[in-house]
Amino acid sequence: MQVFGPNELVDDVLKRDFCIGCGACVNLCPYFRSYYGKTAMLFPCTLSQGQCFAYCPKVEVDLDALSSGLLGSAYDGSPLGGVQEVLASRAGEKTGPGPFQAGGTVSALVSFALQTGRIDAAVLTDREGLIPVPRLVTEASEVATYATSKFTAAPTLAALNQGRRDGHTRMGVVGTPCQVTAVAQMRLNPLDKKDFQDGVGLVVGLFCTWAVDTRRLAALLSERVDPRGIRKMDMPPPPSELMVIDTGRGKVEIPLDEIRPLVPQGCQICPDMTSEWADVSVGVMEGTPEWNTLIVRTEKGRELVEEARQEGVLVTEAMPETNLGRLRTASLNKKKRALVRAREKGVLNTSDDGSRSALRVRDEVLKRILG
Amino acid sequence: MSHLVDGEPGSRHLMMGNEAIARGALEAGVSVAAGYPGTPSSEIIETLAKAAEARGLYVEWSTNEKVALEVAAAASFAGLRGLAVMKQNGVNVASDFLLHLAGSGTRGGMVLIPCDDPGALSSINEGESRHFARLVEVPLLEPGDFQEAKDMVKWAFELSEELQSLVMLRSVTRLSHASGDVTFGALPEGQPQAAFHCDGFVLDANEGAVMSAPVDYKHGQQHDKLKKAEALFETCPFNTYTGPEKPEVLVITSSACNLYSREAIKLLDVEGRVGLLKLGTTWPIPPRLVEKHLGLTDKVLIVEEVVCFLEDQVKILTAELGAQVGVKTFFGKRDGSLPMVGEMNPDHVAAALAKILGVQAESVPEEYAGRAQEAGFVGAPGRELTFCPGCPHRASFWSIHNALELDNRKGFVCGDIGCYTMGVLPAGFSTLKTVHAMGSGTGVASGFGKLGPFGLDQPVLSVCGDSTFFHSAIPALINAVHHKSDITMVLLDNSGTGMTGFQPHPGLPRDALGEDAPAIDPAEVCRAMGARVEIADPFDIETTQQVLLDLLQDRKGVKVLVLRQICALSPEKKGKKLYEMTLDQEVCVGENCGCNRLCTRIFRCPGLVWDHEKQAARLDEVICTGCGVCASICPSGAIQRREVA
Ligand SMILES: Cc1cc2nc3c(=O)[nH]c(=O)nc-3n(C[C@H](O)[C@H](O)[C@H](O)COP(=O)(O)OP(=O)(O)OC[C@H]3O[C@@H](n4cnc5c(N)ncnc54)[C@H](O)[C@@H]3O)c2cc1C
Ligand code: SF4
Ligand code: SF4
Ligand code: SF4
Ligand code: SF4
Repeated sequence: MQVFGPNELVDDVLKRDFCIGCGACVNLCPYFRSYYGKTAMLFPCTLSQGQCFAYCPKVEVDLDALSSGLLGSAYDGSPLGGVQEVLASRAGEKTGPGPFQAGGTVSALVSFALQTGRIDAAVLTDREGLIPVPRLVTEASEVATYATSKFTAAPTLAALNQGRRDGHTRMGVVGTPCQVTAVAQMRLNPLDKKDFQDGVGLVVGLFCTWAVDTRRLAALLSERVDPRGIRKMDMPPPPSELMVIDTGRGKVEIPLDEIRPLVPQGCQICPDMTSEWADVSVGVMEGTPEWNTLIVRTEKGRELVEEARQEGVLVTEAMPETNLGRLRTASLNKKKRALVRAREKGVLNTSDDGSRSALRVRDEVLKRILG
Repeated sequence: MSHLVDGEPGSRHLMMGNEAIARGALEAGVSVAAGYPGTPSSEIIETLAKAAEARGLYVEWSTNEKVALEVAAAASFAGLRGLAVMKQNGVNVASDFLLHLAGSGTRGGMVLIPCDDPGALSSINEGESRHFARLVEVPLLEPGDFQEAKDMVKWAFELSEELQSLVMLRSVTRLSHASGDVTFGALPEGQPQAAFHCDGFVLDANEGAVMSAPVDYKHGQQHDKLKKAEALFETCPFNTYTGPEKPEVLVITSSACNLYSREAIKLLDVEGRVGLLKLGTTWPIPPRLVEKHLGLTDKVLIVEEVVCFLEDQVKILTAELGAQVGVKTFFGKRDGSLPMVGEMNPDHVAAALAKILGVQAESVPEEYAGRAQEAGFVGAPGRELTFCPGCPHRASFWSIHNALELDNRKGFVCGDIGCYTMGVLPAGFSTLKTVHAMGSGTGVASGFGKLGPFGLDQPVLSVCGDSTFFHSAIPALINAVHHKSDITMVLLDNSGTGMTGFQPHPGLPRDALGEDAPAIDPAEVCRAMGARVEIADPFDIETTQQVLLDLLQDRKGVKVLVLRQICALSPEKKGKKLYEMTLDQEVCVGENCGCNRLCTRIFRCPGLVWDHEKQAARLDEVICTGCGVCASICPSGAIQRREVA
């Protein structure tokens, strides 16, 4: 893993417009800040190595280093990453009522983890109008308040960094794949600091194909929707081709053709659809909107799911093989698109030639993925 | 100060040039003095204000220089002696009225004293006021030393009354701010009475209406006055010649350059070879007197500062005199003997003279120069231009800078003149992107704010001080409101004219004489215009930043943010701490990732220093004013503040 400093981060990510605004560089120091969906550097910093660069999921993401560091084996490019089990799931009786985005699996698992002391705080994402806002939550009862998906790229990890400064040591993070990648990089202590504490106790990853740019979405909707009234946003699975916004006074449907141009560049080089570096990953389940797809990845994830099920917090079923197939295909397609795009943009490094890049993957793995 | 009023006639006093000018005005029996603060002129009005009670004068700091000239002119129209004082840029502001006043003529003695700043020691331009005398056609006087600074003021009033014309008397920084011996004259007795006679025949200079029309009649009269002035100048005692009967070189000079020329001649030890014609009356120059001295030699060196003025006039005269004086070789600015820009000094004059005379000019012995340079290099720490410790402007620019970076649309700030001009420098985080005349920040912003339809989508801000607001930003702001320009004006209200020494302005509840005065609240003025107005304390960085971000989101129309916090140097505040500050070097993150010296590398309040040994920041308790701002920027909590009871 190559670690440079803030100047390289600005050059490679902010200036090239690859920043996804994940918040991993925010609140580490006084320089990087997030406002209204955008990350800004307030003043120049002169350090040649920094946490900001090390954690950013849009620069020098070395997939082999992540895989060997976290899973103990080289990155092999399999469509869903490391998987113990894929299930269908939803919140059980013991979890309070929604509204959830889909089955409420995420909220159920996070509030349960808080309740049982597995985590000392949860890093969640709230919404003020159209602006996604990070929240650090310590009460299990508060978790549901911040349920539902905000389809705008969010600076969620700013709350993680803040929580670490505030002394939390076992935080549960809910994040999109880019955010989960950033958290994975944090956990590897890339700056080799003594007494290093990543502060993370659990990572719940979301599935994600793309997000939209907050400011551009706000501009698009400014004439059609009063952002203060928005209750929920949804993107029903294909073939709907719509973003549906529940305004409280009926639903506004925006064709995805209008939305897709608002997808930031950073999403276009993102190879991960299922949050491969999480403990568990959660997405929607095609055809059954009240259920989730749940990927159990780590031991920690398995124990959590198991216990939550025993306590009636979560309900699971087997995942039908057809769904699993489609999930694999969708995930593989995202990998292909992203790697091709990254190669076109000259930010894919396959040869260890020392040049800076966004993504690092071995040539043989790249060939395998692209088929 | 008491000798200013009590000093006996004939007594000698060491005085600053501006004090000498003020004493001259008192000896002339001035009744009304008005000005606008501006270095190097401010002490004249301040000194007169102190003498006001004892001498029965009315003194004011006017809202701007044009108003100052108008106020003083009213005294003249009512038969009193009136004085207007300003720095050189002020004459630009006053120039519209100046032209009309030159045309209308005056009654009681009326003198305008502009103080120029060659070399821009306390300015952002090298403006010139001398050329205004020629432009609007009024006589111009220039004292050449401190005694003259006093004496010529009195003479200027007499001349003004004799000609019934405004008279300009120009000083420069090195005369206004340096000190020398001055012998006093007597102060007049009695209180002159004011009456404005205006019912006479319209063309009657003493009883009719006061105006510059009918123009050809009045303009003709003005030229008669100038002819008369020219004649009087031929024998004016302030025009002097020193030197041999047949000099090899004739130096023609005026003002502070007189002092430099005298020193240069002495330095080169060429008193026997060089003649010095010092003119106290520099527009119009007295033709016969100059002709006489031109006849002494063929080589003429003209020593003056900034834009050629004497040089032009002398050359025109020489051309007119053609046959009588013959061909001359001129040295000065135009042939490169003297620099075109910057302040004059004895070295420049000595170098020019040495070249003409073919002698060695070694103003500073080489060995001494070498040693001085060495000592400077080793001994003197690098000092940058910066805001004072605890200055509200540093905090204000911090928030403006951060809000614009967060907003992330390449917003920029238009500024103007004041301490806050330093906002262009790292001291103000390089936040200002245009700087022009007073009030211009808002005028320029008003223009930028209309460029939306041409594709300009950057947020437009202006900053303006409280004194500047009253001086000239109000029309600009009205323009912006009326034309629905999309701008945010940040009013940096530090409750005084900080840069020039806390002179009062219309926003404050007292006037130049220290008396109670109705204060005008800029926030209310802006509200009355229909602007959205917010008020914040710049020391509260969080709130200030948030309010600014909100205003920036509000794209339409004019928004005003008043950032109110008293200047750190103001007499009310000096020495009083809001907070007791502490810095825990154990907690300080220092150069490491997580801070990288934010306080000493970027924020740079002089109260914080980098401790190389400890590799941590350190608080300089002597310098720190206890504003508490650094505690809110420190990311580690190393800097703490405790409210002072
Ligand atoms: C930008 C985005 C794109 C997505 N794309 C897909 C997709 O293509 N396919 C798919 O199957 N699923 C996708 N999802 C996941 C899906 O929308 C649901 O979040 C997931 O199924 C969990 O449902 P739930 O009912 O358990 O969530 P809930 O119990 O309602 O909890 C949702 C959680 O997501 C967190 N969250 C909300 N918005 C964000 C955000 N912008 N960034 C980080 N965290 C956030 C909240 O803090 C909350 O804890 C996407 C989610 C997001 C945020
Ligand atoms: S190197 Fe460290 S201090 Fe500098 S910007 Fe990055 S995170 Fe901040
Ligand atoms: S992608 Fe995340 S870590 Fe990288 S620059 Fe943007 S906000 Fe910072
Ligand atoms: S801002 Fe705070 S942590 Fe940073 S160098 Fe200054 S005192 Fe230390
Ligand atoms: S409190 Fe801090 S910022 Fe204010 S004067 Fe003292 S050192 Fe400077």
